[in-house]
Amino acid sequence: MATATHADEHHAGHIKLQYQPGLPIPLGKTIVWLFLSTEIMFFAGLIGTYVVLRFGAPTWPMTHEVHLSEPIGAFNTFVLICSSVSIVLALEAARANKARVAKFFTLITFLLGSVFLGVKAYEYNAKFSHGLYPWSPHSQIYEKANLEYGSAVRQRLKTLTAQYGDQTKDLFNNLSDEQKAQIGELEKKPWSEETQAAYAAISPQIAELKSRSQTCTDLSAELKLEDPTVDLVQLSNKIYPPPDQNTSGLPWEKEEHPGLNEQYPWLKLPFVVPGGNMWASTYFLLTGFHALHVIVGLIVFVILMTMDLNATRAGFLENTGLYWHFVDLVWIFLFPLLYLF
Amino acid sequence: MSENLPTSHGPVVETQDAHGHVAHGQDAHGHDAHGGHAGHSTGIAQYIYVFIALCLLTTLSFLTSFHWWHEYFSVTESRMLMMAVSCTKALLVILFFMHVLWEANWKFVLTIPAMLMSIFLLLMLVPDIGMRLRHASEERKFQAAEPPPEQASPPAAPQPAAEPAS
Repeated sequence: MATATHADEHHAGHIKLQYQPGLPIPLGKTIVWLFLSTEIMFFAGLIGTYVVLRFGAPTWPMTHEVHLSEPIGAFNTFVLICSSVSIVLALEAARANKARVAKFFTLITFLLGSVFLGVKAYEYNAKFSHGLYPWSPHSQIYEKANLEYGSAVRQRLKTLTAQYGDQTKDLFNNLSDEQKAQIGELEKKPWSEETQAAYAAISPQIAELKSRSQTCTDLSAELKLEDPTVDLVQLSNKIYPPPDQNTSGLPWEKEEHPGLNEQYPWLKLPFVVPGGNMWASTYFLLTGFHALHVIVGLIVFVILMTMDLNATRAGFLENTGLYWHFVDLVWIFLFPLLYLF
Repeated sequence: MSENLPTSHGPVVETQDAHGHVAHGQDAHGHDAHGGHAGHSTGIAQYIYVFIALCLLTTLSFLTSFHWWHEYFSVTESRMLMMAVSCTKALLVILFFMHVLWEANWKFVLTIPAMLMSIFLLLMLVPDIGMRLRHASEERKFQAAEPPPEQASPPAAPQPAAEPAS
């Protein structure tokens, strides 16, 4: 009884049908290459957008101005290159049926990828702690030192003062009557080290809030914010000083003349970086999408490490390797474009 | 053994690996005729050479971030060098780590038209986008909200700082 099998070729007259695959590679590999071609399109679009925006912008911040550190970027590049080598060594081991060696190298790749993500997180934190966010209202970047900027600084100080006033009131209401009386006495005195210590003796939180409120008032006066003729560029430089050209840009190097935002991390005053918002958008978009791809790769490595990586699994490992090499490739292009240009 | 088109050497259902062999947990050692490919322990050396080359190229592109670099090379030269280095690194990764060097001729069918199209696309965009800053038209200058910057070089170029030796 003729069944619908390949044996039909012997029954269909003298025609001998041959199976011809489209490509001489397994189906999984073909699909991965097709997927990589879509990823190339994806990143080409993003990188093209960055190039057009960057070179069409009237100004663009320098790397140290936005706390981009080239040595850290180079280190990340090195880490990803090492992880590419380790995944290819894992593949060689799997093909040679050395499952434990393959698993070892897969683990190395996973660890190196995690190091990359860790360094990226450190870099992101360095940006966020300086108020460089890709979106409002977190972002404190202003494009120009104009009236809008000046009023934003004033507004921020007012908001802080009001916020601290409310918080102080809440804390105050939880005190005992005796403590409230003591605070009442202290409030009549002018602000000084002794009064601050006296506040701290009653409630450290109130002391901190009072000290911050006082700093805001002092800064308002010192920065001459109520004076309409104040030099706003100077103001921004005091808050977020332009980088010293001689520094290496490494984030852990403390600057000699820290700005106000660095002296008082809670202050978070707006500052001016021309081109800064466009820079933040493109930088975080590109590196964010790349980091997402790295995370996906790491998930697949975890899945791989639960399997026995012998020669039959070499195909899966190879395909994962192809994806991981692509992630490395994208970073090879992103590193000079973002850090070195 | 030909690896391109499988001859009628067996039923369709057998899985085939990249070399057209049947892979049933077979040790791939003795079967490959491609230099430096699957299974040979000496094939690892090639990967190490590529790794060293990648590290050297990365260091080269990283050198462009130092101040003394800009005393010898202009910004445009630096950027061209960086792109050349990136393309070389990408080529090394693709050819050796992704094993494309050892793939069959289908790789040319896919890559050559794609490369042609991408080069064509780049060339088509150069007049509109690449030369945008050098030849802003009079009308565009008139309509712009602010006067364009005066310098002839692209304003996005980082200024090599003339600082005292530190």
